[in-house]
Amino acid sequence: MATGPSGSPSATLQVEPLAGPVMLDRSGAAGGPARTGGIRMFILRRVLQGVLVLVLVSIVVFAATQALPGDPARAILGRGATPASLAALREQLHLNQPVVQQYLTWATGLLHGDAGRSLAAQEPVSKLLADRLVNTAFLLLLSGLISIPLSVALGAYAALWRDRPFDVVTSLLTLVLAALPEFVVGVALVVLFATTVFKILPAITLIPPGGRPWDQPVAMILPTLTLVIAVTPYVARIMRASMVEVLESDYVEMARLKGLSERLVLRRHALPNALGPTFQVIAINLAYLAGGVIVVEYIFNFAGIGGALRDAVANRDIPVVQALAMVIASLYVVLNLLADIGTILVTPRMRTKL
Amino acid sequence: MEERPSPDPKNPLTSTISRRRLLINSGIVVGGAMLVGPLAACGASPNTATTSTSPKRGGNFRLGVTGGGSGDIIDGQKIVTKPDQARLTAGFETLLEYDENYKLQTTGLAESVTQDAPDKWTIRLKQGITFHDGKTLGADDVIYSLQRISDPKQGLFGTAGLASVDPNNITKVDDRTVRLNLKHADSTIGDQLGQYYNGMVPVGYTRAGQQIGTGPYKVQSFTKGQQSVHVRNANYWRNNGEPWFDQVTIIDFPDVAAQVNALLSGQIDAMTDIPAAQINVVKNHGSLGILEGQGADWRPLCMAIDMPPFDDNKVRQAFRLMVDRNAMVQQVFSGHGRIANDLYSPFDAAYDSSLPQRHQDIAQAKSLLHQAGKDNLVVDLHTTDGAAGMVDSANIFATQAKAAGVTVNVHNDPNYYGDQYLKLAFSVDFWGTRNYLPQVANGSIPTAPYNECHWPPKDSNYISLYQQALAEPSSGKRADIIHQMQKLEYDQGGYIIPMFNNLVDAYNTKVAGFKNGSKATLNLDTFGHGYRTIWFA
Repeated sequence: MATGPSGSPSATLQVEPLAGPVMLDRSGAAGGPARTGGIRMFILRRVLQGVLVLVLVSIVVFAATQALPGDPARAILGRGATPASLAALREQLHLNQPVVQQYLTWATGLLHGDAGRSLAAQEPVSKLLADRLVNTAFLLLLSGLISIPLSVALGAYAALWRDRPFDVVTSLLTLVLAALPEFVVGVALVVLFATTVFKILPAITLIPPGGRPWDQPVAMILPTLTLVIAVTPYVARIMRASMVEVLESDYVEMARLKGLSERLVLRRHALPNALGPTFQVIAINLAYLAGGVIVVEYIFNFAGIGGALRDAVANRDIPVVQALAMVIASLYVVLNLLADIGTILVTPRMRTKL
Repeated sequence: MEERPSPDPKNPLTSTISRRRLLINSGIVVGGAMLVGPLAACGASPNTATTSTSPKRGGNFRLGVTGGGSGDIIDGQKIVTKPDQARLTAGFETLLEYDENYKLQTTGLAESVTQDAPDKWTIRLKQGITFHDGKTLGADDVIYSLQRISDPKQGLFGTAGLASVDPNNITKVDDRTVRLNLKHADSTIGDQLGQYYNGMVPVGYTRAGQQIGTGPYKVQSFTKGQQSVHVRNANYWRNNGEPWFDQVTIIDFPDVAAQVNALLSGQIDAMTDIPAAQINVVKNHGSLGILEGQGADWRPLCMAIDMPPFDDNKVRQAFRLMVDRNAMVQQVFSGHGRIANDLYSPFDAAYDSSLPQRHQDIAQAKSLLHQAGKDNLVVDLHTTDGAAGMVDSANIFATQAKAAGVTVNVHNDPNYYGDQYLKLAFSVDFWGTRNYLPQVANGSIPTAPYNECHWPPKDSNYISLYQQALAEPSSGKRADIIHQMQKLEYDQGGYIIPMFNNLVDAYNTKVAGFKNGSKATLNLDTFGHGYRTIWFA
């Protein structure tokens, strides 16, 4: 449980910045010049692909949780299983129906916003998760809003001032931080700012039920900082690499030779081209956070979906596990979609190919 | 999920012992007021800087409890997770109560509980006890509460223990007096009425409805898996100033590290179950203290006496001699526990401490195995993460068994409580604190719900002894019978019980009133008796 779903963003990081644009290139090229329709058609295509991915994910999730051989009802009830409770639970999970129909019942429910009832809490899943979704979404949003501009700026300046002190220091720092798993970062921050060295920040984030995370700004600092530190190094390093490449490219040299101001060269020519690959990394990292947030929520006793997922797995609360798996999968799809669109928008070369 | 109870679905307590004498002695005279003096005095915590100031009112006591999740409930007669215990004790009270020596006292809702005949008990309530909604606690509420516990459909913990109670034959003598006419003789009724989860609820009470009890705090809000807030019951019946806090907030902590950090940074005032590795951190902190109670929870290694190779008593004896109990206390609980003698219910006054303590004896174990023709034995040992120490105990036992030439293959099975449970030859289980006879009813006779060892042997007189003990009103004679039962289990039983663990909790020393070393059944010494006997100094 200590590691997030995608385990090592560092592994994906090698591939993604290249894979992203390359893939787009290909899809653009495949259609050839004849294939027009522009950005709208592209978005539509990607949305449809996303929907297809979600359908496939839903089948996998369903199969892994409910349709595997064995009796889920018995697995759930364990020691407390009685014939009556087994029968009641099978009824509740529709286990008496054929598997395909079970799936369809569940999937139609999901489409209507009905994710079923939590077995452990005996409440609708939606009610159980509503506040937690808001809390996690706010934490992710806050972390994203801070880490994205921060990492882009760090990477861009490091590239601009290549091999100068700023670059050396940030490179070293990002390398070290990227090597640390977020639970180490989180625990270190707690020791540093809450319990041992300086006792200035709360060690855990207590959001009273019904309360909102934005009402607790001070308690949000450490979890947000942990996630920012988890994401920023990767993105900053990719941004730097990408920017270095762009700054050495012919068109930037051309722009400089044309006599454009350095400012304009950077803003108009260098930055957009460097951002393309970086978007992909940002998307992957933010999506990774949706899973990695489990660890952070654990450290800070944060009432979010990570805690709910851990709890649901421990309780074998199948409807909740299914719902959360779909939420996280949807987030992956949406973030990747946004990243692709973003890449297209900032890369004229690709825009025109569509 | 329901019964996956690290806390202790089966953690009752009972005192077969002096119940009768105590009840009779203390009966009528002991009012609520008497209890407070001594308890408050004890409150001057022996181990830490807490000074023996007199209690004072006020404050929000924030308690972090290990575990909890979406399965959390509030119910006066049931818990699922450990935070549920913490919530139950705030709002609900029992007819009788156990004191710090695990002796039954009439400090609860009943003025007296007496056994009139082997199968007849009378409960007499104290006067002037009111529920949170102002209604007076009366005989009808007691009858409703006992009927609810006896209803198997409710799935409550007390059901097995009160199996002798005939729910249709509980009679109201007057507004404060109830008579139980049992299905058969049962000397353990008093014990059962002191179990923390047999709380008294008003007529018509349901889990889904309003949480109304007689306890020191009323529920203000409750969110599963997160926290509950309880406010002071201004009309609390003891009339001695208790409870002292204005508010109690109970917070779930799935992760112990976060719990310790919250305590260190002052976001909570106390926490349950401090990990052994953190005890010194807390001790060195200056403003934190450790509360250690003697627990009687146990994690037996269960050998099914009718399944090979354990159908040969020599093998069972050999296995009991392979355990290095002291090493196990050190390794599993970092020394915060006591070695055990393969017998449960150490707090029971009828516990036979004269039986010689078993120690590791590899030579003898090898010789017994050789006599049984079981040299180089290989066995499977099944365990799961159901309660702290279950997996560790199995692994450490496997290591220790190697010395006797026995290979133990440990299977850590997340689905342990599924199909195979109770059908395994060798497995690890866990139990809470109970007195001897109630424990037998739950785990050591064929009708018990969790008889892992398939005890007793067919040719044994154990069951007839058990029935005699239930019917025996004299505690002295009953103890003699119990000793015979324990001897049978000591000589031939299927349990290897290496140790009992202590309950180790931590608190901020601004909280006064905790007392170290009690025979405790719940953490923070029964949650400060429903947060009554603790206060902010």
